[in-house]
This record gives sequence, structure tokens and C-alpha cells, in this order.
Amino acid sequence: MAPGRTSLSGGWLAVQGRLPLAFMGLALVWIVVGTLMLLAVPSLLALPHSHPHVVALTHAWVLGFFVTVACGAVYQLAPVALGTTLANERYGWWHFWLHATGVPGMVVSFWLWDLELLGHFGFLVAIGIVLFTVNTCQTVKRSGRRHLVAWSVGASALWLLTTVLMGLLLAANRHWLFIPVDPIFLLRAHAHLGLIGFFVALLQGVSFQLIPMFTLGEMREWRWAGAGFWTSQGGLVVLAPALVFHHGVLSMLGAAAVAVGVTFSSLAMVRALDTRKKRALDPGVRLFLFGGVGVWIAAVAGAVLVAPWSAGGSASGGFNAMVYAVIAIVGGLLPCIAGMMCKIVPFLTWMRAYGPHVGRGRTPSAGALTLPRIERLGLALLAVAVVPLLVGAWTLSDVWIKAGIGTLAAGVALFTADMLGVMRHLWRPQIGAPVAVRAAKS
Amino acid sequence: MNESTETKLDTEQVWEALRSIPDPEFGINIVDLGLIYSVDCNGADVSVVMTLTTPTCPSGSWIHEGTKEALKALPGIGEVNVAMVFDPAWSTAMLSQEARQQLGWKGES
Repeated sequence: MAPGRTSLSGGWLAVQGRLPLAFMGLALVWIVVGTLMLLAVPSLLALPHSHPHVVALTHAWVLGFFVTVACGAVYQLAPVALGTTLANERYGWWHFWLHATGVPGMVVSFWLWDLELLGHFGFLVAIGIVLFTVNTCQTVKRSGRRHLVAWSVGASALWLLTTVLMGLLLAANRHWLFIPVDPIFLLRAHAHLGLIGFFVALLQGVSFQLIPMFTLGEMREWRWAGAGFWTSQGGLVVLAPALVFHHGVLSMLGAAAVAVGVTFSSLAMVRALDTRKKRALDPGVRLFLFGGVGVWIAAVAGAVLVAPWSAGGSASGGFNAMVYAVIAIVGGLLPCIAGMMCKIVPFLTWMRAYGPHVGRGRTPSAGALTLPRIERLGLALLAVAVVPLLVGAWTLSDVWIKAGIGTLAAGVALFTADMLGVMRHLWRPQIGAPVAVRAAKS
Repeated sequence: MNESTETKLDTEQVWEALRSIPDPEFGINIVDLGLIYSVDCNGADVSVVMTLTTPTCPSGSWIHEGTKEALKALPGIGEVNVAMVFDPAWSTAMLSQEARQQLGWKGES
């Protein structure tokens, strides 16, 4: 063996995880707030998706929980996946505080439908996202990598910025009416820029770095994964303007391209999973993959919904935008993001609480920081909550909606308890005595 | 894995210390995970060549530092040199039988 020796770069040694953990903690607050909003007003799910209270609820979940987790994950995973360090950690902290201040204000402004207030708080969030985008793109640039993961991270940051700017434009147009377009069309484009441009693009790249790493598998179908990512990107470029200008055929073509892209990515993931050496999947990975299936179903449902002959749209009850949103958000994004969190939070906690003690004392594995039974039950409830919610949104049944919200709330309570249980190791690490090694013979 | 016969006792002691370091993701020690390429003892001095499952392993810094710490804690140890290499790259073929059992992998040895 003639190994090529390398030394660890200083930057590579420095991944500490404070910033991503702060985002994860903030996200936990938001998943609780979003759930409490649903518990307080269950009828929100029976309202049209453009109702101010529904928009407030959506932003609590999407901007408060999902985006916060995803940004925290990018701050951790992008440097790791790209073999570099974050371009500017200070920008990251500015982003954190702007996000922590701006999002609550936005949710309250939506609820009260105070567009002027919304503009102020939305501006704070937008500045934070500008910093996030600059930071992420600079990190990608300095890494020198141009593979799928790099493109996915960079593109998703740019799409997130586009989404936020589109949101500000939407709010401004509601106030001053300078673009003669139905606000509901702008709202749909705004939502899909975020859902597909940010979340799906991120999943279509970073998953192929993470899942093989967590399962000791091999990524063999990079061409399929690349085809999936770029087809979805092309689809979004067609879909977003087609939604704004309410062009049925182009909307359907764009949505179909997104669905085809997600299908390619799913096939590449199935092939990667086939090669895994760690046969039993962790609960977090299982939920993440469950969410992947949900994203695929949502992509297909979206293409059907937007077809010119579809009766969906804003119709109340039946196969409509709310049903599609439940599939996409509760059946797709929630399991993906919660599953990702179940892997990232224990690992970040381990890095801070136990990393410095490796070799000096007995340290647990990252997976051992969770509360296994609570974790499994909580994640199972989060996964199944989509069924009653879907039935409730389809049939406008109050009973089903309440059953779904109850299931979701129970899942969120257990999930939050598990995450807090993991994070408690930050303050109270449990380090055992070092393993005794017998003395050498003199 | 190079184990010199003339320093066998000391080398075994080193391997034992290395087995006390678990990988945080899989909970498998770094020896069974196949991360240790060689251990070379020269009197009281120890040289270890190791790798990571991937060059971008986020816990790599702590595993590297922890390896040095675990060896420095050995009684009577002299100079400790732990080199991190990525050529040859780690592969699942380097997993020990124990690690394969822990992972539930029934793949070929």
C-alpha cells in the first residue's frame, strides 16, 4: 500500500455547527406554533387557499418551519458536501436574526391582513435571504466544485431569493395594483417557485450525497439524478411564468416536466438504496424517503390539477388546490424535512457535545442521542397524519380534518420532545470513563 | 493492515486503543469500520495511517483528533503520528465481519 498522504485543512476541521443548530432550534418553535394555529382554528383547512388566515398558516409552516430547517441544513451540509467552509459565518448569523424577527411579523401581518406591516417584516426576511443566497453561492464558488450537489445548492438558494422577491412583489401589487394580473396567479407562481425551486431542487441534489452516506451505499446513477434535477429546473422555468399568465397548456407542460424530473430523481435514489450496506434504515431516513414518495405524488397531482381540462383550481372540496397543498406539504415536505432533522440534529449535537471528547472518554453514537420509542411513534404519526387531512380537505369533513390535526399534533409533540431530548446533550453530555487499555509489558 | 511481529505486543495494545473509538454515525469502532490502514510501533513511538469513509466526512476532524488522544493516553507511549490519507479510498470491502453483522449486510467478504 502506498497511500497518498494528505493533511486535514484548517477549514475542514472547523465545522462546529452552532449556526445550523440555532436554525434547528428556531424551526422547532415554528413547528409548535404552526400546529397550535391548526389546533386553535381547525376550520382553516376548509377555507380557500387564498384566505388571509390560510396564507398566514402556510407561512408559519413553510417559511417558519421548512425554510428555517432547510437553511440551517444548507449552512451545515453545503460546506461538508462541497469540501470547503462557509463563505461568511457572520452573514449567517445576520440571516438568523433577520429571519427570527421577520417571519413572526409576516405571519401576524398575514393574519391581520395588514399589507403595510407585511411589507416591513417581509423586507427583513428578504434581506436575510439575500445574505443566505450570497453566502451559499460564494461557498459554492470557492469550493470550485461543479457537480450536481453544487448546482443544486446554488440553484435552490437563487430560487429561494426569487420566491421571496416574488412574494414582496405580490404584496406590493396587492397594495398599489401596478401589475394587472390576478393576485391568485401570482400567489401560485410564488408558491411553486418556493416548493419546486427551493425544496425540490435541494432534495434532488443533497439527497444523493446524504442517503448513500447514511446507508453506506453508492451513488451509481448520477446521470439519472442529473437528468431529474435539470428536467425539473426546466419545468419550473416554464411553469412559473405560465402560472402568472394563466396559460393552461404551458402550465401543464411545465408541471409535467417537473413530475418527470422528480421521477428520474426517485429512480436514481432507488438504485442508490439498492446498494446500501446498512440494511435497516433509521427512522429519520425512512421518513425522509416516505416524504420523497409524497413529493413525487404531489408532482403528478400538480400536473393533473393544472391541466386545462381539470376542474380543480380554487374549487371548494374535491380534487382542488387545498388537496394538492396537503399532499405536497403534509405528505411530502413535512416528512422530508422532519426526517432530515432527525439525522442532522443528533449529528450536530454530537459534534458539539461529544466530538471534543472522542479518544478521551466513551462517547455515544449520534443515533443513540434520540429517544427511540418516542422518535418512532412521533415520526409514524407525522407520516400517517396526511391521510385524514387529505380526506378532510377532499370531503370538507370537519371530523376528518380534526382527526388529521389531532394526529399531526400528537406527532409534532413527540417529534419536538425527541428533538429537545437530543439537544439536552448540549448542556448535559453523558461521557463515560475512557476504555481501559492494559499496560504494555516492560 | 501491517502488524510487525517484533512489536506485536505494543501493536496489539494500539489496536485495542483504536477499537475504543466509535464512528458517530454507525456506532461501529474505527478498526472494524476499516478506517485504520496501518499501525507501526517503533519502541515507544507509534505511527498510524488512517482514512475516513469519505473525505468530506463531517466528523472526520474529531475522529482524527480522538485517535491521537486515545493513543497519547496509552501508558508509556512516546511520539504519536496519525496520518490521514484518502488514497486508496475507503470502500465497504474494508468492513470487518463484525461490522458487516452490525450493519445487517450479508455481502461477500
